This record gives sequence, C-alpha cells and structure tokens, in this order.
Amino acid sequence: MTQYQTNRDKTKRIAVSAVLASLGLIFSYIEAIIPFSIGVPGVKLGIANLVVVIALYALGGSYAFSINVIRILIAGLLFNGIFGALYSLGGACVSLLTMIILKKTNIFSIVGVSMAGGVAHNVGQMLIAAAIISNIKIFIYFPVLLFSGMITGIIIGFISYLVLKKLNV
Amino acid sequence: MIKKADIILAAILIILGGMIAYMMASTDNRGHAVLITVDGKEYGTYSLYENKSITVKQNGHINKIIIKDGMVTMAFSDCVNQTCVHTGAISKTSQSIVCLPNKVMVQITGQGQGEAEYDAISN
Repeated sequence: MTQYQTNRDKTKRIAVSAVLASLGLIFSYIEAIIPFSIGVPGVKLGIANLVVVIALYALGGSYAFSINVIRILIAGLLFNGIFGALYSLGGACVSLLTMIILKKTNIFSIVGVSMAGGVAHNVGQMLIAAAIISNIKIFIYFPVLLFSGMITGIIIGFISYLVLKKLNV
Repeated sequence: MIKKADIILAAILIILGGMIAYMMASTDNRGHAVLITVDGKEYGTYSLYENKSITVKQNGHINKIIIKDGMVTMAFSDCVNQTCVHTGAISKTSQSIVCLPNKVMVQITGQGQGEAEYDAISN
C-alpha cells in the first residue's frame, strides 16, 4: 500500500513537472513574441521564472531544476536560439541554486527568495556574458541589472505566493 | 508573509547597487579613443574626435560602427537581438556597446590623442 502510494505520488509529481515545463515554455514564447523592454539591454520580466518558483515550493529543488533546464533547452531550440539558451542556462542555474539555499535557511519568505533569485539570475547571465566576451567592462550594467532583478523577483514572488495559496500545496 | 530577513536582504542589495552605481558615476570620464574588440582580441583603436565609419566583418557577421561628433553608435548589426544597435550613442570611458551574438565590443578609452598630447607637453 505504501509502495503504491509513493509510486502514485511520484507519478503525480512527474506529470505536474511536465505540465509546468510546458507552461514555462508558453511563458518563454510569450516573452519572445512580445518583447517587454524598457530600453535597457538585458532587462526583461522573466515570467517563465514564475513556473520555477512555484515548482520549487510545490515540488522541490530537483524538480524545479529539471523543469527549468527542459524549458530553456526547448525554448532555445524553438525560438530563442542556442546562443540565448547558453545565457539563460547560466543565469537559471545560479538563480535556482541561490533560491534553494535561501529556502533551506527558512528565514526568508517566498518573496525574499524570489527577489534573491531574480538578482542572482541577472548576475549569473552577466558573468557568462563577461566570460564569453572576455571583458570585465560589461559590469557597467551591474546596478541596472541588480535593481531590475530585484523588482522582477519581487513581482514574481508575490504572484507565486498568490498562486500557491490558491493551489493549496 | 514578508519576513524581516527579506527586508534586510532587500536593504543590503539596494545599498550594494547604490554603491556600485555611485562608483561607476564618479569614475565617469570623457573618453578620447574608441577601442573595438572582436572575441576579446583588439580589432582597432580610433580617435573619438574624428568622424569615421568602421565596418567590422568577421565570420560572416557584419557590424557597422559610426563615430560622429565625439559620439559612437552601432549603426548596423546583423545579429538577432539588436541590443547593440538599441544601446545608442556613447562617449564616456565607463560606457560600452556590446554585441554578444557577434562578439563585438566597442569601448571608450582614456588613452588616445588627448593623453598623447598631454605627454608631449610634459616631456
């Protein structure tokens, strides 16, 4: 009976992961066709991160990681280009790692975790950009990316909080 | 649902960002030369005071950089995202135009005719 239940639980998690990955892909697509830009390069809302934050809280770190990697690779192949996927992947890994660590400390709310994730995402992308272009001068954008990461992270955190409350997980 | 640690973290990030922005702003200087690098390697250095149009062709990619009235713009790029073209005009040493897909970077440097003149006088 317990074996059956854990198996069923695992199947449910995998199914939910697949749904969330698809949802993240749709979000990536929306962002690719409607470029939300405020005139500063590198600044975007990152609505796909909503899926990652929800997955992190509803399913756990490893599920969130898988969902995000799948989403980025498919989005890269379909519309962002492999080059874009490389940046996204770097930013996403740094971001998710930060969020997992902060969530483990148990002193931050979902908004704080998401905020730190947003900042980490931008910093991670910038580190990869600096490595590819092999120039440290790219850090000129640091303050802009830091503040934009904070704001988008807070927005994503709030929405995630509301969604999770409705989902009752 | 917002905890104390969230606010502390936000405050730390705001202070950090503000400090870096202040540091960047205080080192903002008028440049003298335009340095173009491709894939981390120097492509060429040009004077900021001389109107010039430079076309960088490499690996099948084309980037067109225009120096006019002490301002540098990326006039054309065949890259996908066009971020470099949208960056606009730059003229200060802390500024740069980056085209990541084509690995082309345009920077303003202090070394150039201005400093060369200064050296000539002091010698």
